[in-house]
Amino acid sequence: MTGRPRSLPAPVAAFVRNTTVRFLTRRLIYSAVVLAGVMVVVFSLVHLVPGDPIRIALGTRYNPEAYEALKVASGLDKPLWRQFFAYFGNAVTGDLGVSFRNGSPVTVNLLDRLPATASLAGIGLVIALLISLPAGIWSALHEGRFSDAIVRISSQFGVSIPDFWMGMLLITLFSSMLGWFPSSGYTAFTEDPVQWLRHVTLPAVTVGIVAGAIMTRYIRAAVLEVVAMGYVRTAKSKGLEPAVVTFRHIVRNSLIPVLTIAGIQLATILGGVIVVEVVFAWPGLGRLVFDSVAARDYPMIQGAVLLIAALFLLINLIVDVLYAVVDPRIRLS
Amino acid sequence: MRRTTALIGAGTAAVMVFAGCSAGEGTDLGGASDALVAAIAGEPDQLDPHMTTSYFSFQVLENVYDTLVEPDENLEMQPALAQSWELSDDQLTWTFQLRDNVTFHDGSPFTADDVLYSYNRIIDEELSNAWRLSAIEEIVAPDDHTVEVQVSQPSPNLLSNLGGFKGLAIVQQDNVDSGDITTHPIGTGPFSVDEYRSGDSIVLVANENHWAGKPDIPGVTFRFISEGSTAVAALKSGEVDWTDSIPTQQVEGLAAETETLTLGQTPSNDYWYLALNHNKQPWDDVRVRQAVAYAVDRDAIVQATTYGTATANQLAIPEQSVWYHEYNPYSTDLDAAQTLLDQAGITDVTLDLLVSSEYPETVTAAQIIADNLEPLGITVEIRSPDFATWLDEQNTGNFDMLMMGWLGNIDPDDFYYAQHHSDGANNAQGYANSDVDDLLDQARTETETDTRKKLYADLATIVADEASYIYLYNPSVIQAWVPGLDYEVRGDRAVRFRDASFGG
Repeated sequence: MTGRPRSLPAPVAAFVRNTTVRFLTRRLIYSAVVLAGVMVVVFSLVHLVPGDPIRIALGTRYNPEAYEALKVASGLDKPLWRQFFAYFGNAVTGDLGVSFRNGSPVTVNLLDRLPATASLAGIGLVIALLISLPAGIWSALHEGRFSDAIVRISSQFGVSIPDFWMGMLLITLFSSMLGWFPSSGYTAFTEDPVQWLRHVTLPAVTVGIVAGAIMTRYIRAAVLEVVAMGYVRTAKSKGLEPAVVTFRHIVRNSLIPVLTIAGIQLATILGGVIVVEVVFAWPGLGRLVFDSVAARDYPMIQGAVLLIAALFLLINLIVDVLYAVVDPRIRLS
Repeated sequence: MRRTTALIGAGTAAVMVFAGCSAGEGTDLGGASDALVAAIAGEPDQLDPHMTTSYFSFQVLENVYDTLVEPDENLEMQPALAQSWELSDDQLTWTFQLRDNVTFHDGSPFTADDVLYSYNRIIDEELSNAWRLSAIEEIVAPDDHTVEVQVSQPSPNLLSNLGGFKGLAIVQQDNVDSGDITTHPIGTGPFSVDEYRSGDSIVLVANENHWAGKPDIPGVTFRFISEGSTAVAALKSGEVDWTDSIPTQQVEGLAAETETLTLGQTPSNDYWYLALNHNKQPWDDVRVRQAVAYAVDRDAIVQATTYGTATANQLAIPEQSVWYHEYNPYSTDLDAAQTLLDQAGITDVTLDLLVSSEYPETVTAAQIIADNLEPLGITVEIRSPDFATWLDEQNTGNFDMLMMGWLGNIDPDDFYYAQHHSDGANNAQGYANSDVDDLLDQARTETETDTRKKLYADLATIVADEASYIYLYNPSVIQAWVPGLDYEVRGDRAVRFRDASFGG
């Protein structure tokens, strides 16, 4: 080998060698690939459904002129490959087309629904964590005792209760009988934070109880696994305070599965909890998807699926980063 | 077909949804503090009155737009944007005198040009209500406040076609051209659109300059609450003041709660019907069709589809209508049905019943009808495709029997001509009777009301006797509101808050 080896300036080289950066870059590329795959599926949606999407979308408004007009407006008269690249290119720049129903931009419609969806998902997840973290940890540390049985039975209830029924129960109790919270509707946080909180409470509790029950079971299992580890026994036997053992040795090491399940629950709620949104007349993504499917508004359905997939990937990415923060071994693997 | 479509579209939405609204007490949803809050059962697809077929849209637009004339509570046409009209001696020219000093919500003046633009838009773009204007040859504006409509033949139903519902509203061209009409329509009506919150609500504020006077209510907030139990809970807790999002199984219980709410219920002019395919054997035999008419248990269908809130009927429209004609040839009678089938020599036949999954009442009713016909040896095979497919199947005649509804009926020409005239656009069952054709042609141009009523009564009798349609029931309009609200339910499902007030 002759000649000088080519090298990057030292700070850049250090940056590239940094395991965290390499880990993140890998995850980012992976997310982009998955998103591209989702786009292919979303694009194919219109062509895979049985029947002619334009005829179906027009429904009772069908006439030959309207048919041709919508076909041209939606670009479905062009060759398939051109349609695909046009869709791909537009989607990358944030243009997801216009709604079949009312001609308004899909992107604007989706963004309109995001604050309500994010409010419900955020508060719902907080409630789920408030329920599941103490309950799951307590239950695992008291395995086989009476309190463990109570937690396990309650969480089984929480998982099994239909959210429709739970929603109606909360409305009847807290809205109709006690009058503490409004039964339905949404107020933006920027408009009136107090009203925002009052409106988000009941739907978020409904979502939070179900998600919390699921998470309780995962957290209990994760903690139980760590409790059985040798280093926990060692820590205990060397006389550490029980609280130190619990929080430093047990809880921190059980966080990985907790992060995973919390991420999945958050993404699920963000993607739209249709039943809860319908019961509480909540203007979130779920109802938009529901209404769009009923109206066969294909551009809207495509856009919503794409957005929900992107949110899923984003949350997964954040969860991955948090893994790396919580457990340095992951960065190196 | 387009006409059917429009009617069914509007009707479907009507049938599907009960909207509710509530008045201001205890609500803090923005808008004027004593504005009325109304909970309707779904979100409008768009707010362009000429383009939408959704009942949710029309619930809102009823309060935003005006038509030249409009139906009163008896569905008779009264002055609206037109303060008066005259009919020429040859019955072919209608001259409308428009109100002075009417303005759109943006302050621009309303003139005859707006009327011309609106009607020509519907006709030229062949929008779904173009059939209502099919008799029109030409529309001209001799001056800013006069509109002349020339028709190709005497048209006693022109007024109900022009003003029957807000699908014929007078729109503003700038609003259409800018595209804003789909979300921020500008009309001349008693309320203007202030804010549209996607998925949540539409806020209207009273139009101080409305020609009928400023509404008593300062504003209306339409909230979209599709879950009926939630809407009813919101009504009881005072969050909403009015709703038609009411589960039918709760109607009986709610009627007793006179302390907390007022329940309004009235039969509508909508009707649901069966039609047998006259072009297929053995349904071409009138005795076989009559046998089916005798076998169907209308009361059971009403119970199953609407929890008994609808009214069984053997003709198209209910007793409350001025066009009602009492005639009940078919009581449920299996012996009579069997006798007719025996006379026709029919045993063991299969019937392909076409209903649509988008109209759940048709699927429910189909199961009862299958049960009703089974003892006669008629095996019913139910198909329930989506509505677009249903329409295609109907139009190609690929069915033995179908069930569907006609909605928003005002003038008898609306609900008899297209269905039963041998040239009728919606005569998918293939009914042809020259006597019926003559009656329909004559009644269409008959301007003497009593004579016209007689013609339609004769016609209805023949249609029932020959079972061109087998009529089933008229659904009810069911709405509920807070006791302090002064409001009337209308049989045409129009939700008109212009005349409502609090403290009544």
